Amino acid sequence: MSRQNTVLAIATPVFFLVLWELAALLGLIDTRFFPAPSSIARTGVNLVQDGVLLESLAVTLRTLMVGLIVGNVIGTVVGVSMGLIRPLRASLDPLLSGLYTVPKLAILPLLLLMLGLGEMPRVIVVAIGSFFIAWISMIEATMGIAHGYLETAESLELTRSQRLRLVIFPAVLPEYFVGLRIAVGNAVLLIVGVEFVMGGSGIGSMIWNSWQIFATERMYAGIVCVGLLGYVLTKLVKMIARVAVPWSPKSTSRRR
Amino acid sequence: MTTAHTNTMHTEVGSLEVTDSSARQIKATIRDVSKVYRGRTQVPALDNVDAHIYDGEFLTIVGPSGCGKSTLLRMINGLQRPSEGAVEISKSSTDRPLTSMVFQDYSVYPWMNVFDNVSLGLARSGLPKPEKHSRVRVWLDRLDLGKFESAYPSELSGGMLQRVAIARALVAEPEILLMDEPFAALDAQLRRRLQEELLEIVGDAGRTVVFVTHSLEEAILLGDRVLVMSARPGRIVDSVDIPFDRPRDPELRKSPEFRDLEERLWLMLKEHATATA
Ligand SMILES: Nc1ncnc2c1ncn2[C@@H]1O[C@H](COP(=O)(O)OP(=O)(O)OP(=O)(O)O)[C@@H](O)[C@H]1O
Ligand SMILES: [Mg+2]
Repeated sequence: MSRQNTVLAIATPVFFLVLWELAALLGLIDTRFFPAPSSIARTGVNLVQDGVLLESLAVTLRTLMVGLIVGNVIGTVVGVSMGLIRPLRASLDPLLSGLYTVPKLAILPLLLLMLGLGEMPRVIVVAIGSFFIAWISMIEATMGIAHGYLETAESLELTRSQRLRLVIFPAVLPEYFVGLRIAVGNAVLLIVGVEFVMGGSGIGSMIWNSWQIFATERMYAGIVCVGLLGYVLTKLVKMIARVAVPWSPKSTSRRR
Repeated sequence: MTTAHTNTMHTEVGSLEVTDSSARQIKATIRDVSKVYRGRTQVPALDNVDAHIYDGEFLTIVGPSGCGKSTLLRMINGLQRPSEGAVEISKSSTDRPLTSMVFQDYSVYPWMNVFDNVSLGLARSGLPKPEKHSRVRVWLDRLDLGKFESAYPSELSGGMLQRVAIARALVAEPEILLMDEPFAALDAQLRRRLQEELLEIVGDAGRTVVFVTHSLEEAILLGDRVLVMSARPGRIVDSVDIPFDRPRDPELRKSPEFRDLEERLWLMLKEHATATA
């Protein structure tokens, strides 16, 4: 069953790629817009070889990681605290819920106005987006902890720090990783958007510039690269989650 | 009006208070306790409950659903405060917790393995680590959990989980062990096995246990005394002594005396089963 799934998972995209390649070869599609996969790959290899692609990727990845980590850490702390402390929730929830719906890219001009053209506004946009996702998933997770778990902790007379460490953190950990996965995808989206607008040497601007100079292959190579970036990061989070949440029934049944 | 939940050192066990050798030492007193839950509506849960818990006795509590049995246990455990009245427990040792509770469910943490779950019972004990570990091992073995100490709860059956909860409560050697329908979720067969195990564990050490159950049979088989409660708001209807010697054989259930007692308790419950508030 699972092997069949793997075969299907690989065969389906391969099938479409072959179809695409054939269509391009036979002139059924306009190769100005849809260059053959093989020529995209060739361009990609060239870009890797002259170092352009990896350099852009490194630039993008750095901004993304800094923003993601900063936003995620702050969002997690704020979310868990608000979930635990009612007055904090009462005072901050309406404000944050209101801000939550503002599209994060929409504040970029404001940040540019305040901070100028440096690295900072990019990081902050990613951080804000990551903050909100961590915040909302952690406040929900914390408030959703089964009352019985907390009552047991009280009955065992755990200290405040024991309660946090032994009960509350592990109870919200699975949802933390779900949130983190969503945040990763969202962060890739934001950084690419920011680079479209602000230029620079990241992978987003590479895609945008390729459009302007009509280097379609290069554009596709960039798109694939961004896609892979998101995929690899998400996969990484999943792997960490599997190690960090060893009690989840799914992973134990897989082990059996 | 006393509203505090007081765990005062109000009698020392072994003090000179005992004049009659047959008199039982009082371990805890529930003094005119009433409880009203204040939410959108006011729910009176307990109404002037007055009872003693004697040292070393196995006290079982039966009563209609929602009559405040769990509320009463929570108050003894210090999880809730009485709206009126007080719970007083006499402390006889400084290094044992006063009470520990076995809940019906949600008490075994899925993110800890069996060993760590049981160790939690000693989280506040201040014992050195090796001592903690050896005490945990003792109780794991007594409850047949030795082989599962590194298993996660998701890998265990319901009966195993309840054993973990019991081991965790017992490892702390509480002065009073509180059990809130600990076997209610188990099937009949498993229930019997755990009842027998509990009889064994309790039989040897003269532990003080307060055990809430829906099953009259369970109440009689396990208890030295049964408290019968009325429908909500709960009051104490009667206290019935169970005359059977220990160690008790579970076959006791089949004796006519057992059946008579069960019938008597059942009639009592029936009479007070309709809510008065
Ligand atoms: N936290 C709470 N807030 C409001 N009402 C509550 C709360 N806990 C219990 N009650 C109400 O108080 C009454 C007594 O509850 P309790 O859980 O003590 O009863 P119980 O005898 O243990 O019932 P059961 O046999 O079903 O376990 C019930 O009517 C219940 O609905
Ligand atoms: Mg109950």
